[in-house]
Amino acid sequence: MYLKYLASIGHYIPELLATLTMVGLILIEATFGRKKESRFWFYFAGIMGLIATLSALISGLGNESVRVFTNSVTIDGFSTLAKIIMVLGTMACIYLSMVSKDIEESIKPEYSILAVGVMVGGMLLASASNMLIFYIGIETLSILSYAMASFKKTDDRSSEAGLKYALYGGVSAGIMLFGMSHIFGTLGTIHFVEMADKISGLDSIQLAILLPSFLLFFVGVGYKIACVPFHMWAPDVYEGSPVPVTTFFSIVPKIAGMAAIIRLTMELFSTATPLSIAWIGLLSMVAAITMTVGNVAAIGQRSVKRMLAYSSISHAGVMLLGAVVANEAGASSILFYGVNYLFMTLVAFYIVSFVQDKYGNDHFERFNGLIKSHPLMAILMTIVMFSLSGIPPLSGFVAKFNIFAAVVEKKYYVLALIAGVNSVISLYYYSKIVRFMIFKDSESDTPVMGFTYRNQFIIAVMALPILIFGLFWSDLMSLTSGAKVFIN
Amino acid sequence: MHNLLNWILWMPMLGVLGVLLIPRSKTTMVKYWSLVNTIITFGLTLVLYANFDTSVGAMQDVFNVSYPWIAQFNIFYKLGVDGISLPMIVLTGLLFFICVLSSWTIEKQVKGYFALFLFLQASVFGVFLSLDFFLFYVFWEVMLIPMFFLIGIWGGENREYAAIKFFLYTFFGSILMLIGMVALYYVAGTFDILALSGGKFIDKELEMFGIILPFAKLFFVFMFIGFAIKVPVFPFHTWLPHAHVQAPTAISVILAGVLLKMGTYGFLRIAFPIFPSASVYFADAIAVLGLVNAIYGAFCAMAQDDVKKLVAYSSVSHMGFVMMGLAAMTTAGMNGAVLQMFNHGTSTAMMFLLIGILYERSHHRWIVRPDGTRGFGGLYTQLPKFSIIFIIAMFASMGLPGLSGFISEALIFLGLYKVYPTITLMSLMALLIGAAYLLWMFKRMFFGEVLESCKKYTDVNAREIFYMLPLCVAVIVFGIHPAPVLNVMKASVGNLIDLLSKF
Repeated sequence: MYLKYLASIGHYIPELLATLTMVGLILIEATFGRKKESRFWFYFAGIMGLIATLSALISGLGNESVRVFTNSVTIDGFSTLAKIIMVLGTMACIYLSMVSKDIEESIKPEYSILAVGVMVGGMLLASASNMLIFYIGIETLSILSYAMASFKKTDDRSSEAGLKYALYGGVSAGIMLFGMSHIFGTLGTIHFVEMADKISGLDSIQLAILLPSFLLFFVGVGYKIACVPFHMWAPDVYEGSPVPVTTFFSIVPKIAGMAAIIRLTMELFSTATPLSIAWIGLLSMVAAITMTVGNVAAIGQRSVKRMLAYSSISHAGVMLLGAVVANEAGASSILFYGVNYLFMTLVAFYIVSFVQDKYGNDHFERFNGLIKSHPLMAILMTIVMFSLSGIPPLSGFVAKFNIFAAVVEKKYYVLALIAGVNSVISLYYYSKIVRFMIFKDSESDTPVMGFTYRNQFIIAVMALPILIFGLFWSDLMSLTSGAKVFIN
Repeated sequence: MHNLLNWILWMPMLGVLGVLLIPRSKTTMVKYWSLVNTIITFGLTLVLYANFDTSVGAMQDVFNVSYPWIAQFNIFYKLGVDGISLPMIVLTGLLFFICVLSSWTIEKQVKGYFALFLFLQASVFGVFLSLDFFLFYVFWEVMLIPMFFLIGIWGGENREYAAIKFFLYTFFGSILMLIGMVALYYVAGTFDILALSGGKFIDKELEMFGIILPFAKLFFVFMFIGFAIKVPVFPFHTWLPHAHVQAPTAISVILAGVLLKMGTYGFLRIAFPIFPSASVYFADAIAVLGLVNAIYGAFCAMAQDDVKKLVAYSSVSHMGFVMMGLAAMTTAGMNGAVLQMFNHGTSTAMMFLLIGILYERSHHRWIVRPDGTRGFGGLYTQLPKFSIIFIIAMFASMGLPGLSGFISEALIFLGLYKVYPTITLMSLMALLIGAAYLLWMFKRMFFGEVLESCKKYTDVNAREIFYMLPLCVAVIVFGIHPAPVLNVMKASVGNLIDLLSKF
């Protein structure tokens, strides 16, 4: 038994490294935090720890899928790739927090510590294959997020964001726990594998009794990925929090939640039972509504950050379509989407962050004439906006195409149509910022301080995959379709 | 020779690269570079024309290019040319070359303008050359990006609205096309247009919420809307007047001359060959829509006070004739339609160029100003050379015998009469109205006393004559002797007719 646990730890090195990184960062901050010059070593240690985690993950990419810790945690290609996305996102967000002026200088280290902590929770969630681990993952993710949301201690809106987030989170976690306990009461197990076995043996009336519990279960995850109708917190939190926090929230918890939903759907509902039909129906409805509500709400926003927040809700809806199809093509298309979404979101938020640092707000007018003062940044932002709305030959189009393909393969034409119309709507508000940047004249002649050569270089490097994966996505596709969800 | 299509497609991109490398301040150099680039591209299209085998109706094997692109989805980078695409390719080469000359007066952000302009040319070639549906779709969409900026930055007063409207409309249409395309892929396992063609989806059915729908008809409608927005077919035409009026001259020329034809080209290359049964089924509807286009467009044109808007609506009317010719599905009608695509490209391009030349002198385009006074008067006395060119363009557009528009319209009517005699007779009315609005416009602008404001206008200069000349020649020569164009398309159109007649 103990030996088995020891062996399990061997598969769990990335998570261990990430946790060690977090602990190490806390120690460094607690010991040397007062000194200004120690800041460099703090970030150095943080980035090194994350790079170590990343290399551990990458080296484990081709390994055979296993369930460790008595079937509680599944290490498979799918979760590993999702974790890679999360680690990359965290790294980029930590750098952004370092150069951003939106976070007070004295509490910057806390950001990195909390971000790594959230990431560990996300990694746990992405591999969770038992309800308890699932719950622990979500809670680790959430509790640290509440602290992150209320990061601007002097700002009322930030405190409001934190409080809102905590209240919503607490309630939805409670609802989810209630649903889980009901499921456990009915099925007598918390392991997904055994649950799947039991479900296939039940008749339709028993399944009907089980259905509401799964609905309650869904509330918890649905809240995490901010899908409608559990999205109310998202815009306020996204707007109230500092930009690096918003960036982080729109990447890491989202990918983690999406991975969890995929695993849940694939393990429990990939065979046709009345329950799975209901679950798929629920998911497809939520996906359709999420896309539409997110998009329609984004149209009227004045703040770019808030617009991106709403649009990220709609992207969550699109990604959910990959879960609706509940097959390998769907899982692969979600990962594909996740990789491209990571780069697009990062570039967009980096640019927004630096512009906001200059003006103190990020209304559309602040982007006026960016093409004159910072042509490269304006062009990259344009590329990202077109990519997010799904125009070829950019990676956002390919990502959407993959989701479309998975959906159409299953003959869900109506869903594909809704997703398509939503792309058109999203083009309206995405192109709005392009119009401000390129068609309007600048309102101030002073350059944006944040766009130093180093930052511009980093943004350009992150934008490169958007162009490359838009044309040559064959290899990325073999990677994502090779990263299968492990089901036995 | 087998890389010729690659060269045609990528030559403009080479031009973009060159433009980007030239320093921002060297505007003349940018212009000359673009000119040289478009001349070379036009030359390459002429080489293609010279080496084209008119007896072959299928894709010309000598020119085919095919490389695997995305193995997972069986997507190929596949280019080819046949008699239907060749006239469009030559037209594209010619018009872009002319439009560089007509854009010589651009002063705002010259570098960006020509980079986007050449980028647009590459994407247009891509649409006409692609034989893989996915590749076609990529080019079809890519084209929107340069158009959005070209209208939005260099356009008229209301440019932003026009740019976004154009962008959203077309994007909506292409999304429908995308769904159809993916659905086809999952039935046939390929994106290859030739492999999809031939009516393989006749018996396919598809169930949605328990309702059985015919696969071919449903997705034909999807594709139809996608292409119809581009043509534009009534009631999807509302973006066109805005886009045309706001766009700079050269972009209007490209829009009317080439981009609208991409819609009808889509019918010929994709919608008809892939869904022949559905095409035959919907032929009546297409004919009626074409008729509505022709008459409605003509009436709208008559009501315009802005001469550019008038020509824009006349395009709607003329594209209606193309639609009717396609719907006839007879040899004469179809050939007429393809010929009309080419001829309308030259004659409307002339009209837009002339209006652009006039606008550079007058800075307004009112036939009748909003306050009721005349915008132009007596141009014939003031600008004799200009007027002669204008008369040629106008009569070609009207369909006067001896000029190019006549031949294609006559063919369309010949072909249409066999199938839809009533529609043919009714569409003759559109011709009549067409003559009326053009002549009325001409009378109001060119005759009468020379207005005080018109007296300072100078006649066309050498550059302007130089770029109008090839179009004048084309309009006159193809009006008398249309064989060079007709021979090229005959075999390919014949193949399509054979396919359609089986259903």
